[in-house]
Amino acid sequence: MIEKALKGSRGYWTWVAFLLVVIGLGVTAYAKQMTLGLGVTGMGRDISWGVYIAQFTFLVGVAASAVMLVLPYYLHNQKDFAKIVIVGEFLAVSAALMCMLFILADMGRPDRVLNVLLHPSPHSMVFWDVLVLNGYLFLNLISGWAVLGAERKGVKPAPWVKWLIFLSIPWAFSIHTVTAFLFAGLPGRHLWLTAVLAPRFLASAFAAGTAILILLTFILKRVANFDAGPEARTKLAVLGAYAGVANLFFLGTEFFTAFYSNVPAHMHSLQYLYFGLHGHGPLVPYMWFSLIAGIISVGVLLSPPLRRKTGMLIAACIGLVVSIWIDKGVGLVIGGFNPTPLEAIVDYIPTFTEISVTLGIYGIGLLVLTMLLKVAVTVKTQEA
Amino acid sequence: MTMKQDRREFLKKAGLGALAGLGAAAGLFPAFALEKTDPSTFTQKPTPGKVRWGMLIDTRKCKQNCTECIVRCHHDHNVPDLSGTKNEVKWIWKSGYEEAFPTASQQFQTDDVKHRKVLTLCNHCKEAPCTRACPTEATFKRWDGIVSMDYHRCIGCRFCMAACPYGSRSFNWEDPRPHVEELTAAYPTRMRGVVEKCNFCSERLSKGDLPACVDSCPEKALIFGDLNDPDSEIRRMIAANQTMQRKPELGTLPSVFYII
Amino acid sequence: MNKLSQLLGAVAAGLVVFIAAWFFIHAGHGGSVPAHAEDPAVAAATVQPGGAPIDSSKCILPTEYMRAHHMQILNKWRHDSVREGNRVYVNPEGEHFEKSLNTCLGCHNNNPMFCFMCHQYADVKPTCWECHLSPMEVPQ
Repeated sequence: MIEKALKGSRGYWTWVAFLLVVIGLGVTAYAKQMTLGLGVTGMGRDISWGVYIAQFTFLVGVAASAVMLVLPYYLHNQKDFAKIVIVGEFLAVSAALMCMLFILADMGRPDRVLNVLLHPSPHSMVFWDVLVLNGYLFLNLISGWAVLGAERKGVKPAPWVKWLIFLSIPWAFSIHTVTAFLFAGLPGRHLWLTAVLAPRFLASAFAAGTAILILLTFILKRVANFDAGPEARTKLAVLGAYAGVANLFFLGTEFFTAFYSNVPAHMHSLQYLYFGLHGHGPLVPYMWFSLIAGIISVGVLLSPPLRRKTGMLIAACIGLVVSIWIDKGVGLVIGGFNPTPLEAIVDYIPTFTEISVTLGIYGIGLLVLTMLLKVAVTVKTQEA
Repeated sequence: MTMKQDRREFLKKAGLGALAGLGAAAGLFPAFALEKTDPSTFTQKPTPGKVRWGMLIDTRKCKQNCTECIVRCHHDHNVPDLSGTKNEVKWIWKSGYEEAFPTASQQFQTDDVKHRKVLTLCNHCKEAPCTRACPTEATFKRWDGIVSMDYHRCIGCRFCMAACPYGSRSFNWEDPRPHVEELTAAYPTRMRGVVEKCNFCSERLSKGDLPACVDSCPEKALIFGDLNDPDSEIRRMIAANQTMQRKPELGTLPSVFYII
Repeated sequence: MNKLSQLLGAVAAGLVVFIAAWFFIHAGHGGSVPAHAEDPAVAAATVQPGGAPIDSSKCILPTEYMRAHHMQILNKWRHDSVREGNRVYVNPEGEHFEKSLNTCLGCHNNNPMFCFMCHQYADVKPTCWECHLSPMEVPQ
């Protein structure tokens, strides 16, 4: 079936070529990082995680959001999703792959990555994250591929496939919960030390993930004549909207606990992010943009007359993705490290090398997604 | 034809079974081991938890402009000098009172204490969040209470740095060698890509010496000893003085105490 | 039994054999280092390395054995001293040594090319010298 990814229109190959260029630039930047060390990034002693881990956190959520299609379709027979469950599964594969690449890019000694498996440490959340992320990638890849292959042959999928799919449903929740636990179990970082972090991660994941899926359906409609249908999009929009509402609600609860209790440790990170602290407020405009864009986007997605308009729907989806990307990526990671354990505020700006590596990894993820979707769409349109 | 096939099947299964049986037998019956394990090689290891190293810092004695302990520690351990840059590596340094004790009361604090400089370093916590976070156990709690680093195993994920509530850890963002002014031959450097921090001079403790910082202090402001021994100097001094610890509400049970 | 089940069965069987063999090989010590019981009094907090005058003609173990097994010895020493607190090595002659690279370099300190002569010939590039100061760097 993979041969279907090797045949395409002029547009397809132009897109692939563009991605290869981006990947090439990323590889060059990564070579510089491998030679000189992670010091070529904007990270430092005080802000020891940056863009790479931020992307990892955001993309784990996107990977988990496949469950928004899988659960309704396989457990509740939601027929509207029939055409696009595979899109969700392949998006999960691509996102999970990018997660692992971002972790690898962020490691000081990537040559020793197998130490995590050679010296298992069940008390460490990173250990579990490595296991569940790999498991989830293969779960979705194998089950998606098997279902697609069966469809191509015009038969029902083999009996074991449905067990993998059922497994992927709680597994999707688990990957993002483990990632949240990574942050939420650290006693010294008060922005993260909250029980609501895991529910918030899941809510924002489902909101951003469904928005990305909707955008993907529009792209597939335009470039491959593959239309998921307005019913599927509407259902996704509703799911995304409710998840977005939950996410905003959780943000509100965070603000309440911090500012009503008046405990400095709880307040400081939110103050740094949204109001500036001790004269430092580089992220303030971004956080407010994220909040306002999030509210407006969720509002549009909740309103049937508004979301019925294609332009509004696309804008709302983009707005929601950008809003959550800022909140979960930039806000979460930088806000977590500021103020530092010694109460200092340190600025963080990613370097050109860092951004090149990031874009290169996105390029790899998009290339894998493109090829997988090419296969999926080709099979499904030949079927029909 | 069928006879040949059956014999092959039998041989395959017998071979597999023999191998499995051999492995099981070697594991279960010491006498059957193909390689003799000499039990005397399992030599005496130190009893875990018997000794708990700790440090008491009398900040009243610490002279404002003195950096003897810092210079000595960083020299003895080949710590690179990247001070002032984002890639700074430091094992011990001076911090302000409010920076070191942000959760202690700052109200109506005397000028003297407000401007006091306190030494900050790894607290070698009894309940260390960093060792819990490490995915490879490259950082681990030793038998004598020291939170130790295994630089050979560290993958540089910096999860321990995120976990430490005290900012005690540094990462080698670049190759440290060019930034070590004077190499100390008796101690290695670290490589690019691993996390490092104070090790309570375990290499000196194994020879019966005190840590370098303690040894170097001209004012004798640093007391070091076994917290598990109620008769040790450090325990007697903790009993005789009002002491503080950094962020005690986090439950990390640090091994470093301060007299303010 | 259809083809897929056969394949899965063979893979499972192979995995079992492989994992069993791996544990079997690593259950003892990966490289047999002949040693005798260490004196418990010595294995306490302090270390008395040898005490006898340095004699580079005599290593902790025979030269041929060291040539073949020095890497395994160093691995074991590293594990023992860093992670177990077991710093004293007693060789078959009953001599005590500290489990440290400094023990080797302490004797083999008149030749800056000590490790490199053989490693260059064998085209082996261990990463020790990224951290540890090599005979070339340590003042002789």
